[in-house]
Amino acid sequence: METVSIWIAAILTLGIFSFLYKDNPLYKACEALFVGVSAAYWAIVFYFDNIYKKFYEGAVTAEEPDYFLWIGAILGLLFLTRLIPNIGWVSRWPMALIVGATAGLWMVGYFVSNAMNQIGNTISNIIVRDAATGFIAWGETFGTLVILVGVLSGLVYFFFSKEHKGVFGATAKVGTWFLMVTFGASFGYTVMSRMSLLIGRVDFLLGDWLHILR
Amino acid sequence: MRSYLEKMKASRVLLLVLVCSLLLVSFSTSLLAQTDSDTDTPADSIPAIAAPAQVTDLKAFDTDNDHGHSITIEWTLSADDGAGAKSVISYEIMRWEPFVRDSVMAARDSLGWVQARINKFEKEIPLAEESLDEVLTGQPFLDSLSFLVAYDEKDTSFVLTSEYVDKTLRDTIAAMKRDLPVLKVRAPLLPARFDSLLILLPKEYGKYPDATIGRFDSVGTAVSGVTSHENSSAVDSRSPGFIPDFIDYYYRIDVQTSDPNIRTTSEIVGPVQSSGQWFNSGLVPVLIAILVFTILTMIFVQLAKKGMDLYVRPLAGIEAVDEAIGRATEMGRPILYVLGLGSAADIATIASFTILGRVAKKVAEYQTELNVPCYDPIVMAVAQEVVKSAFIDAGRPEAYKDDIVHFITNSQFAYVGAVNGIIMRDLPATNVYMGKFFAESLILAETGAVAGSIQIAGTDEIPQIPFFFVACDYTLIGEELFAASAYLGREPELLGSLKAQDYAKAVLLASAIIGILLINIFPEYGETFKSWFEVID
Amino acid sequence: MLSTIAMVLSAIVGLSLIYLLIRTIQGHPVERRIVFIYIGLAVVLPLLMNKTLPLPITKDVIKLYDQLEKLQPGSKVLCAFDYDPPSAPELQPMAVAFLKYAFKKDLKIIIMGLWPQGPQQAQQAIEEAMLDPIIAGKNLVQGEDWVNLGFQSGNEFVIQSMGTEFKRMFPKDNRHIAYGDIPLLQDVVNFSNVDFVINFSAGKPGTTEWVQFGVDRFGFDMVAGNTAVQAPMMYPYLRTGQLKGLLGGMTGAAEFEKILDEKGKASTFLLAQTFAHATVIIFIIIGNLAYFSSRKKKMAGTP
Repeated sequence: METVSIWIAAILTLGIFSFLYKDNPLYKACEALFVGVSAAYWAIVFYFDNIYKKFYEGAVTAEEPDYFLWIGAILGLLFLTRLIPNIGWVSRWPMALIVGATAGLWMVGYFVSNAMNQIGNTISNIIVRDAATGFIAWGETFGTLVILVGVLSGLVYFFFSKEHKGVFGATAKVGTWFLMVTFGASFGYTVMSRMSLLIGRVDFLLGDWLHILR
Repeated sequence: MRSYLEKMKASRVLLLVLVCSLLLVSFSTSLLAQTDSDTDTPADSIPAIAAPAQVTDLKAFDTDNDHGHSITIEWTLSADDGAGAKSVISYEIMRWEPFVRDSVMAARDSLGWVQARINKFEKEIPLAEESLDEVLTGQPFLDSLSFLVAYDEKDTSFVLTSEYVDKTLRDTIAAMKRDLPVLKVRAPLLPARFDSLLILLPKEYGKYPDATIGRFDSVGTAVSGVTSHENSSAVDSRSPGFIPDFIDYYYRIDVQTSDPNIRTTSEIVGPVQSSGQWFNSGLVPVLIAILVFTILTMIFVQLAKKGMDLYVRPLAGIEAVDEAIGRATEMGRPILYVLGLGSAADIATIASFTILGRVAKKVAEYQTELNVPCYDPIVMAVAQEVVKSAFIDAGRPEAYKDDIVHFITNSQFAYVGAVNGIIMRDLPATNVYMGKFFAESLILAETGAVAGSIQIAGTDEIPQIPFFFVACDYTLIGEELFAASAYLGREPELLGSLKAQDYAKAVLLASAIIGILLINIFPEYGETFKSWFEVID
Repeated sequence: MLSTIAMVLSAIVGLSLIYLLIRTIQGHPVERRIVFIYIGLAVVLPLLMNKTLPLPITKDVIKLYDQLEKLQPGSKVLCAFDYDPPSAPELQPMAVAFLKYAFKKDLKIIIMGLWPQGPQQAQQAIEEAMLDPIIAGKNLVQGEDWVNLGFQSGNEFVIQSMGTEFKRMFPKDNRHIAYGDIPLLQDVVNFSNVDFVINFSAGKPGTTEWVQFGVDRFGFDMVAGNTAVQAPMMYPYLRTGQLKGLLGGMTGAAEFEKILDEKGKASTFLLAQTFAHATVIIFIIIGNLAYFSSRKKKMAGTP
């Protein structure tokens, strides 16, 4: 059984790789299969985890039913009113709840984690001294300076109320440079990530499928 | 007669003396044995540990800024912790417990247990009854099953007949059926009993320090060097170790050494009660920040509504949108609009809806073809509304078709695969990627570049921006996406909040600069200033 | 034998890259499919060589390791598996190495996932860890030494709710045993009762959500293993101490394996990773040369 599944996986992998040459029927077949299987998979996962496990077992068959879940279930059903043109507007209520609750939850989260804590940590001694010797640690000091200039000029770049001219424009330009360096680093990391995925697949093809490795 | 009575008395006295002397002998022997062992130990085993110094400054108070059910205990380390005799290994936190608490806990445990058994019985009895006949008929092996039972004297073999199995099983099921109704009547009484016991608790705790109704019990341990402990429980009264609010608790700390018998108890503190707070004072800086931001937003939204011209600097990517739509019309090829992988609640997706509205309106005006494949069903529903209203705004409702916006799948790479297919087959003139993007960004943008489309992208997912940068003609970086939606939409709410954000950024920028100056020139003030920004509740 | 052939072939491929470089300078751009072939070879050949590379361990991984070393046997660790098979090549080696380390150290593991396939990945990682003879000898029991609570939908709301009570989000484990009946979870009410949190994350919901809704609200100690794509975004949290340690991508995984002394897949993949990176760098140079030479030609062409 396992051999069969390995063969299927290998053929599908090669089918997707074939896109590198050009679009072809095998790739299209693999693509369609992937889309279909994953859509079905998600449908099942959502049914079992949400409707069955969370709602049915939590609010219907549970020893102490959680009646709050009924509110969620009813709101969820309201989404389906979209299918009836006359009362389709009702579906905006659950949507409003989702958007409102998420926005509220994230607002505090963002303020604390990404604004306040980050600014709090930017406020630091520019000159860093070695704890043991008391001398200036040049490397660390340079690092602090880079972070400082990066944060401040980056903030200036994302200021939309003023045209990028003069000193303001120059600072924004420095911000752009910092952004570009960040993107470069990020790019490098992503290339690494993609290569890892490719290595994972090649390892599967050479190891599990062809048994050349190990 | 009299002499007989006296004789009786004499014999009783004799008995008493005998008993007393026996007791005395046994007592003295045990005493001797103890002294013996006492003299033995120090000679050839580990030297005895001296009792460690007790903890001092013991304080117990309600944990601040929480939902209640928690008490914090703080103390100063024993003099023998890390210093002195260095004999302290841990501190045991002891709380005075009335014995009735054990009954409360027992009642709590039985609550769940009984209900679980009832459910099990209810489910299994009918099943067992149903399958009984099925299981037993046509099982010839049952009659021939024999067990060899070994006794001391002789071996006896025991044959398991189908009659025997049948009877035992039926008896068991009958017993279960008989007990079930009784259980079902009694079980609902249990929560009431548990609740009544819970009500009893405050009164019993109030009887401290009556040793006949309670004792000190361990509620946690802290390792050496630690000077505080939080004695807390969940809010649910049926959770393990539940701590009811508004009850008088008494605590003490026992200093423990490597010898479990050698420990020093501290003074006792109390009474202390736990309670929840409505307001978390630790989050005041966040409240202030959010209030300032909200007020700024409201002011700017009002200004925008009054028609004040709020300046937003032009963004190259947005200027390009109109041009790209024109190009698509000229070439007679469709426009592909990808909303990304975000949910309808993501700010990036919401910003993308505004831009989609603008694109759809232009598309309707120019009578170009539009294709919006979606990853999230809710996003699809909203996008359909957006496109529909845009077509109505453009005065071409008849041109709107529901399949302009369509669902693909909720799996990342399957979605990308499908969109790639669309790009390669339809060869759209323009691809717009606005919203939340993850690993698929490069794959999409690369395919679009190969197809020769003009590509405009925007996302707040910073790691994905480099890919859009290299493979697209125009890219909106992070917040530029939100600015773009405000710039295009010119709606007072969006413009106002964009302005408020700008000012919030200015405040943060100024705070950072002031803070850095302060901490480098007046470190003391700087630290205080810095602490306003470090929030962990 | 295979290894020698692979080495010889690698040398030939390396030389042919220099030839491509010269051709590009001469004005013959490389076709994209050629690039794919080279990347393919750069991955396949090193895998056949079956060699490992010496690897220096970075500060962030040491930081993470120090955090793990602080844990006492019996400590309860919440392990959030927020990834699916497509990201497994990067994250699975981390997970396997961590579980092996944890089981050997007698840490108690509580597994959960905000991604549906996360707990399944965890199950696979556990099965792989159990193959280790030392761990197999311990006869670990599910429910006592580790428990898999499965998946729960709701993203960041799940974390928020777990701050009050785990049981509300996970009434049963993946074997359908009630939360209250699992021995390991007897004293675990919420984050206050776990000693440490580790998150393996490939996107959203993931480490960002755990930091913002977990660490910043409930104040527990957390480290994370991220895909390389995501890792750069986590550095700000690492610098501020909101994260106590970070493993980034396959290199992070390989370093983690090395520091824990649990040689696994990531270590064997490292050579392929290095070759692939070198090839990418060479092609970036070739691409830029081609771009500048074509621009020069265009400029020369315009009067």
